[in-house]
Amino acid sequence: MAIHKIILASFLVYLMIQFSHGATKERLFSDLEKDALDVTAKPSRQGVLDAGIDKLSITWKLSSTAKKQANFKTIKVKLCYAPVSQVDRPWRKTENELFKDKTCPHKIITRAYNKSSQSFKYTLDRDIPTGTYFVRTYAVDAKDHEVAFGQSTNEAKTTNLFSVQAISGRHKSLDIASVCFSVFSVLALLVFFVNEKRKAKLEQSK
Amino acid sequence: MGDSTGEPGSSMHGVTGREQTFAFSVASPIVPTDKTAKFDLPVDSEHKATVFKLFSFAKPHMRTFHLSWISFSTCFVSTFAAAPLVPIIRENLNLTKQDIGNAGVASVSGSIFSRLVMGAVCDLLGPRYGCAFLVMLSAPTGFSMSFVHDAGGFITVRFMIGFCLATFVSCQCWMSTMFNSQIMGLVNGTAAGWGNMGGGITQLLMPIVYEIIRRCGQDLPDGNRSALEKKGEVAKDKFGKIMWYAVTNYRTWIFVLLYGYSMGVELSTDNVIAEYFFDRFHLKLHTAGIIAACFGMANFFARPAGGYASDLAARYFGMRGRLWALWIIQTLGGLFCVWLGRANTLVTAVVAMILFSLGAQAACGATFAIVPFVSRRALGIISGLTGAGGNFGSGLTQLIFFSTSRFTTEQGITWMGVMIVACTLPVTLIHFPQWGSMFLPPSKDPVKGTEEHYYASEWNEQEKEKNMHQGSLRFAENAKSEGGRRVRSGATPPGNTPNNV
Repeated sequence: MAIHKIILASFLVYLMIQFSHGATKERLFSDLEKDALDVTAKPSRQGVLDAGIDKLSITWKLSSTAKKQANFKTIKVKLCYAPVSQVDRPWRKTENELFKDKTCPHKIITRAYNKSSQSFKYTLDRDIPTGTYFVRTYAVDAKDHEVAFGQSTNEAKTTNLFSVQAISGRHKSLDIASVCFSVFSVLALLVFFVNEKRKAKLEQSK
Repeated sequence: MGDSTGEPGSSMHGVTGREQTFAFSVASPIVPTDKTAKFDLPVDSEHKATVFKLFSFAKPHMRTFHLSWISFSTCFVSTFAAAPLVPIIRENLNLTKQDIGNAGVASVSGSIFSRLVMGAVCDLLGPRYGCAFLVMLSAPTGFSMSFVHDAGGFITVRFMIGFCLATFVSCQCWMSTMFNSQIMGLVNGTAAGWGNMGGGITQLLMPIVYEIIRRCGQDLPDGNRSALEKKGEVAKDKFGKIMWYAVTNYRTWIFVLLYGYSMGVELSTDNVIAEYFFDRFHLKLHTAGIIAACFGMANFFARPAGGYASDLAARYFGMRGRLWALWIIQTLGGLFCVWLGRANTLVTAVVAMILFSLGAQAACGATFAIVPFVSRRALGIISGLTGAGGNFGSGLTQLIFFSTSRFTTEQGITWMGVMIVACTLPVTLIHFPQWGSMFLPPSKDPVKGTEEHYYASEWNEQEKEKNMHQGSLRFAENAKSEGGRRVRSGATPPGNTPNNV
């Protein structure tokens, strides 16, 4: 019985730890200072960009309306999904709680905060999925908590969006291997079947 | 054994007190051992093994068992290989929630049809051919996943891969021909449980494979079917007839529904659980895979346990015990499923998931402990129909609850649990005249209340004249133990050495 009590006790302790964790995670997106940074993201060419090939020219600087810049320690630049790419895809949902928010999963670059205008030429990562995007920069304080942000689009996330086409992932060698293995499988079955027929004939003639 | 005239009191059985008693062997003195048969394991009059020796590879019984569950397990691995990788695939192919849901539905729908066909094939050609053809012809469908580049292709290929789940039917039929019905629950449960485990193994295996790539067999105890048919020892049956007897037996349809909500929910959960944990609790792909694997891997002991529980209940209460066991286990599974949908923290969700898996999988084991008794002649087709029902239930559940934006995944899981409880109620309606049902006792009619009458009624007069029903009569004899304890305690039939009890 002692072992049962120990297991139950540790289970309860674990549960309590889980509950207490929740209390610290209530930081909300709506609490962040809006448009603290002016961000622009210019694609290297018109039309749909190719992942792994095309580039984005990203610039960001402190906005004239910013108030909390004393706390800014680092700037995190991220690639974010536009609303059209979030439709019917709950794993990309925008949530107010920052730890739950899945709008901006792709990291572009992280740099220390600098008052002057910054820029970065970003080659789209090969694993960026097909979709429509914008760029957002989060200003983060010394405790690694977001305090402000700026984005390359308007508040409704409808302007200055760009589209990306993902890599196809198909290789000729893979296709050939697939065909070979499939043919082998069917041939093996035929060999088995022919053998069975032969054995049945032998049994009958006995 | 002294004067073996079978008079009450003359048996020396039990005198030494050292006879074995565990249920890995047939317990009743009613099932006489066939001493003339030359097999590694003791067999009954149909040459089915009466003992289940797990770690043996004895020909043909145990060897069949191992080959069966291994081939079934690989099919499960293939069918559910995409599920733990969905978080990656949905980005590669730009899938929506509907696409993912539809692919999940497709993965289990293909085998609705193939399980029906396999049922007929098992009855007509034997499970060995059915299994071999299916496995080798499904292999190319797995390879064709490499050609997929959009949602339509993904759905189509998952549909085609799903065909191979029909190996379930060949597996169960094969076990039913090789092992005596008293240990049927345990044998069928273990074979299918270890096969279903493939659904859990794949959840562990696929994330590992992905990581690596990212950085690198006799059909029947006495011989093969075609040889035996040519010798006239196995009757060649007609498809139309066996289909008729399968379809007109109302118990078939109740099991189709029930299995849709034990196996069906297991398949649906295999498809959605990794993605659910990944998204809801913000886990890494690997971690979500491990948790999802626990669900499928529980099959290793849960399904055999369900079958064993059924066999145990049958030893005391006969078929009525089996029915009660099934109802209790499946309803509990449904309640735990509701709990899983309502769990808000990771720990409670995992605990609820494990309990749910035990309930659902044990219910599957308990179902196929009863199905072999529904019919002797149409066993293949009924197994096929029941198996297909499992897939149909899965497809339907995924379509209603997991393919639309109307329900969040946790709401879908909760409602799925409610449906399990509701759809398990029809088991109260299953009645065998010779053994009774959950609430009614067996019929007292001296003719209609016998096992022989039930199983022989599947053959008409001309067929009986040709003695085509002999197999059914032998089965009926061996199935008398389903009457429960009162039947078992009857006198040993004269002239037969009583089995160890």
